[in-house]
Amino acid sequence: MSIRPKVLYGEPEELPEERYDVLVIGGGIAGMQASLDLGNMGYKILLVDKEPTIGGHMFKLSKTFPTMDCASCISTPRMAEVSHHPNVKLMTYSEVKEVWKDGEGNFRIRVFEKPRYVDPSTCTGCQECEFACPVIVSNEYDWGLSGRKAAFIPFDTAVPRIAMIDMDNCVFCGQCERACPADSIDFLQRPKWHTIRVKTVILATGFHLFPIEKKLEYGFGKYANVITSMQMERILAPTTSWHAIVRPGDGKEPSNIAYVLCAGSRDRTLGNPYCSQVCCMYSIKQAQLIAGALPLADVTIYYMDIRAYGKRYEEFFQQAKDMGIRFIKGRVAKIEDMDNGDLMVYYEDIENGGRLSKAQHDLVVLSIGLLSNPEIAGIFKNAELKLDMMGWIASPDENVNPVRTSIPGIFAAGTAIGPKDIPDSVVEGSAAAMEAAAYIEKVRAVKPVPAEARSEG
Amino acid sequence: MSEGKDVRIGVYVCHCGGNISDYVDVKKVVEAIKDEPNVVVAKDVVFACADSSQNEMIEDIKNNDLNRLVVASCSPKLHELTFRGVAERAGLNPYTYYHANIREQSSWAHTDDKVGATIKAVRHTRAAIAYVRLAEPLERIRTPSTRAAIVVGGGIAGMRAAIALADAGIDVHLVEKAPFLGGRTAQLCCIYPYDRGGSEIVRELIKDLLKRSDRIKVYTNAEVAGLDGYVGNFVVTIKIKPRYFKSMCPAVNDAISTCGQEIPDEFNFGLTKRSPIVTPPFDGAYPDIPYLDIEHCNDCETCIGPCKDHVDLNQRPEEVKVKVGALVVTTGFNPYEPGKGEFGYGEHKNVVTLQQLHRVLALNGHSDKLVFNGKEIRNIAFIYCVGSRQKRRSEEESVNEYCSRYCCNAAVYVTVKMLEKYKNLRFYHLYRDIRTYGKNELMYEQASRSGVVFMKYDEDDPPKVLVNGDQLTIRARDLLTPWVNEIELPVDIVVLVTGMVPRRNEQLNRMFKISAGTDGFCLETHPKLKPVETNIAGLFIGGACQGPKDVRETIASALAAASKASTVALREQLELEPFVAYVDPGRCDLTKKCMAECPYEAIEIKEYPDVGKKAWVNEAKCKGCGACVAVCPTEAMQIRGLSNIQIRRMIEAMGRGVKI
Repeated sequence: MSIRPKVLYGEPEELPEERYDVLVIGGGIAGMQASLDLGNMGYKILLVDKEPTIGGHMFKLSKTFPTMDCASCISTPRMAEVSHHPNVKLMTYSEVKEVWKDGEGNFRIRVFEKPRYVDPSTCTGCQECEFACPVIVSNEYDWGLSGRKAAFIPFDTAVPRIAMIDMDNCVFCGQCERACPADSIDFLQRPKWHTIRVKTVILATGFHLFPIEKKLEYGFGKYANVITSMQMERILAPTTSWHAIVRPGDGKEPSNIAYVLCAGSRDRTLGNPYCSQVCCMYSIKQAQLIAGALPLADVTIYYMDIRAYGKRYEEFFQQAKDMGIRFIKGRVAKIEDMDNGDLMVYYEDIENGGRLSKAQHDLVVLSIGLLSNPEIAGIFKNAELKLDMMGWIASPDENVNPVRTSIPGIFAAGTAIGPKDIPDSVVEGSAAAMEAAAYIEKVRAVKPVPAEARSEG
Repeated sequence: MSEGKDVRIGVYVCHCGGNISDYVDVKKVVEAIKDEPNVVVAKDVVFACADSSQNEMIEDIKNNDLNRLVVASCSPKLHELTFRGVAERAGLNPYTYYHANIREQSSWAHTDDKVGATIKAVRHTRAAIAYVRLAEPLERIRTPSTRAAIVVGGGIAGMRAAIALADAGIDVHLVEKAPFLGGRTAQLCCIYPYDRGGSEIVRELIKDLLKRSDRIKVYTNAEVAGLDGYVGNFVVTIKIKPRYFKSMCPAVNDAISTCGQEIPDEFNFGLTKRSPIVTPPFDGAYPDIPYLDIEHCNDCETCIGPCKDHVDLNQRPEEVKVKVGALVVTTGFNPYEPGKGEFGYGEHKNVVTLQQLHRVLALNGHSDKLVFNGKEIRNIAFIYCVGSRQKRRSEEESVNEYCSRYCCNAAVYVTVKMLEKYKNLRFYHLYRDIRTYGKNELMYEQASRSGVVFMKYDEDDPPKVLVNGDQLTIRARDLLTPWVNEIELPVDIVVLVTGMVPRRNEQLNRMFKISAGTDGFCLETHPKLKPVETNIAGLFIGGACQGPKDVRETIASALAAASKASTVALREQLELEPFVAYVDPGRCDLTKKCMAECPYEAIEIKEYPDVGKKAWVNEAKCKGCGACVAVCPTEAMQIRGLSNIQIRRMIEAMGRGVKI
C-alpha cells in the first residue's frame, strides 16, 4: 500500500534551506514516538513521511493485541498530538532523496515534496471534491477491498486531513475544482525541493508486506476467498467500508475460517528465513475478534510454533484456546479452490502422525510476514548504511546500541531494524530519541555550535 | 464567580464530514441549544477542526465579545487541545473552553437510532454549556525542573540509561543494591546473537560509565531509603551500606585464606563456594574493591591482619540526599528457581538451570571437553518452559502463566555455541513451542541443521527426569513422532530452561508507588503506547523489571525510559494541567479523610492565617483523581475546573427534556 504517482507535472520549485535539530524519516508509530519525545525535550523536529498522511500501518489495523484496544482510537490521538506539537513540523507526501554527512552533527538533506494539486493552506477537508469526482479506483488504504475517488482524502483520520488528486487516474473533468468551496484545487501545483540542515537523523522507515502472490501454492490473487491478514484487518476494523465480515468472492458470511501462519516467513523457498514476529499474535487477535462477531463460526489456525512471547501474549493465546479456536500444528502445503468458492487446505498434520491431511474452509486468511525496506540505504550519498542479509538496518553492536546504525549520528527505530510489534516499536522510537539527544549534546560539547545556528528549544 | 454573570458563549456543532451528521441532525442540535442562557453564537460547522473553521471561531469571539467557547464534535482526546488553542489565540483563557463529544458518544454509538442520537447530542452540548457558564480562567501549574536523574538498578539497563542521560547533559545518580555493578548479565557466558560474553558487555558499559564520572555518580551496596517531592523536584535518600573495605588490598587472597569460612557463591548459582570476603567477580568489575559480607562473617577479625590498611570494620551506613527531576527504575529480574524435585532439580547434581549452565560453561574455561562434576558430558537434554507458561489449575495457585520470552533463544544459542566449542555432544531439546522470533529464527535453523534433536512435548504430559543413583534418564513422549511410544534417553546433564520471575522489591515499589501486574512485573501505564511510563509523573521503568526481555530489548527499553526522563529533566520548567484539588479552608473540618484516601500523598496540614490548621493540597503531587472530593463530608475539597456545582449543573442540563 502506498500512494505513488507515476507522473509528476511541472518543474520542481527550489526552496531555501531550513534548519532543524532532528530529521525523523517515517511517521509511523516509531517515528511519531521519536518525534514526540525529542519535541518534549525541547528539540526542533522535522518529520517527513512519503505518504499523504502520517500514521504508518497502525491506524489501519482493527484492534491491537493483547489489550484489544481499537487501533485507530489509540493511534489517531497520537497522530493529532504530533501534528499539534509546537516543536514538530510535519512534511507529508514528501520523500527524503539524499542525505549528505558534512561532519558530525551536520547533515544536509534533500526532500522532494510531491504536489497534491490541492492548496493545503486553504483546504478544509470537507470532501466536496471527493463527492464530485466521477473516477473510482481501488483504495490502497483498504488493500483493494473498497474504492476511492481520484480526488480524495486518503483516510478518515488522515493527518493532515487534506484532499489530494491522484493525477495517474484523474480524467481532468474539472468537477472537483468547481465543487471546492475554498477554491483549493490547483492543477498547476509544482513539486518542491527542500534543503534541510539537521544535527541528526532517525530512520523509522518501517516495513513492506510480503508479496504472498509469490507463494503460488496458496493461490492468492487467483482464488477470491483467499485473503491476506491485512485485508482481514480492514474487514474487522471499525472504520471499514463493509460493516460486515463477509468473504470477498460472493459476499457470503464465512463459517469456517482458516488462518495460515508463516505465509512468507520462515520459508527459504521464498527467500525469507526470518520469523516475522507479529503474525502469530495478530492472527490470534483476529481469530478472537471473529469469534466475537460470528459466534457460530469455526476458526482454525495452522501453525508451526505459536510465538506468543511478549507481555501478556501467552495468556492471550491461552484465552484463544479457551474460546474454542483450533490450533493445528502443521504447515499448509497448498490451497485449492472448489466450485462453491470454498477452499481445500492441504497440510501436514504433525500431531496426528505427520500425514498429509486436508480440510475444507470457506475463507482462508494468509498471515503474511514483514519484509525490509532496503531502499533506505540508497539515500545516503557519502556514507554507507549497513543492512543485514535480509535488508533490515543493521546495528554495529546490536546488544548495547540497538538503535545505532553504521553511520554515527544516524539512528533507527521500529520495523526499519527488523520485524517487530507495536510495543517494541514504540520503545525503540523513544530509545532512538534518547540516542539522538545524547548525540546532539555530545557533538555540541566537543564543538560548540555558533549561537545563531542553534535552534531555540 | 456568580453563575452566568457576564458570560457570553459561542457554541459550534460539528458535522465531522458525515461522521456526526449522518446520524445526528446537527441543525436540530443547534436549534435546541441556541436559546440556552448566555449562548450568543450557535452554529454548525462541517469540520470544526479545519483551519478555516478555527479562524471563523476566532473572528466570532472577537466580533461578539465572546468569553466562553463550546465545540461539540469528536472525542476530546483528539481535539480538546486544538480548541483550547483556538480559545487562546482569540485571547481567551484556554480553560474557559469545553468539549462535548457527540461523535464517539452519540453518532457512532447509536447508528441504529438517529433521533436518539440527536437527543443525546443535545444533552451533551447542553451539559457543556452548563459547564462553561461556571468555568473560571485557570492557569497551568508551572514548576521548575532539576537537570538530574536517579537510576535505581546497576545492571545493563541502569548503566546504559545512565550513560545516555549523562551524554544528554543530565547528572545521574546510579544506585545498585549489590556490592558490584553488572546485575544478571555479568553471569551469562554468551549472549545472542553475537558471540559476546555477558561480563564483556558489562565491562564495556562500566568503562563507558567511568568515562562520564563528571556526570555519573555510582553508589554500590546502596539502596533507596526515602522519596519525597514530585516531578521535576524529587528528593531521594540513598542509603549506602558499609562495605568494610576502603580500597583494593593486594593481599586479599591471604585474608580470604585466614578467614577460611565458605558459603555458596551466588554469582555461580551455588556451583562453587566463596568467602565472606567477596572480591570483584570478573575482570573489570566495579568497584575494584572487595566487600565483606557481614552476614556470613563470624567477627573473628583475622582478615584485618593481611589487609589492615584497607579494612575498616567500624564503617557505618551513610545516607545521602540527592535532588533529581526524574526517576528511572531498572531493577531487573530473578531467574526462576525450580522447586526441589521439579524435573529432578535438587535430586541430582547434574540437573541444572539454564543460568547455571552459563556458569558451568564459564567455569569450564578453554578446554575442548565439557566436564561437570568430574565427568565428561556427552548427552545433554534441555527441558523448556520450566517456571514459565504454567497452567493455572485452581484460582489460589500461584503460577507463572507468562512466557519468559528470552529462554528459547538463549537455549538454542547456547547449544549452537557448545556445538562449536566441544566435540561429540548430543543434544535433545524438549520444547512446547520454539519461540525464536524474528531474526533469531536463524539460530534455530542452525541448531536444527547441526543435528540437535527437537522434541515437542504436551503441556499436560511433560517429560520426566528419572534419577537412579548416578544415572539420569529422560522419559518423554514426542508429539512430532506420535507413532512412537514413550522414549527413554540416558543423559549426562539435564538443563532446565528456566525463565524470569519478578524481583520482589516490595519496599522500593511501595515507596515509588510502582504497581505490579498480574504477572508480578512492574506495571506500565499502557502496554502499547506508554510502555515505560508509570502513573507517577516523572517515574519511568526500563528493562526486565517491566517484563521478561533479552539483552537487546532490555537496553532499548532502558534507553526509552531514559528518553522519558530527559523530557522531564531537560526542561527548565514543567507545565502541568491545572485540574488539581484545592481546599476551601473555611469549610474544612479537618476530618483528614482526604489524607487517608489520597493515593499520591499530596495532602498536608497547613496553618492558614484566619482559620488555623486545615488541609492543603500540594498541586505538583496531585493528579486530580478526585478521591479526596468524594470522601470530604463538607465539600471543602474541590477539583479546579470541575467543581461539584459544575458537575451538578451538567447533570441537571443533561436531565432536562429534549424536544426536537
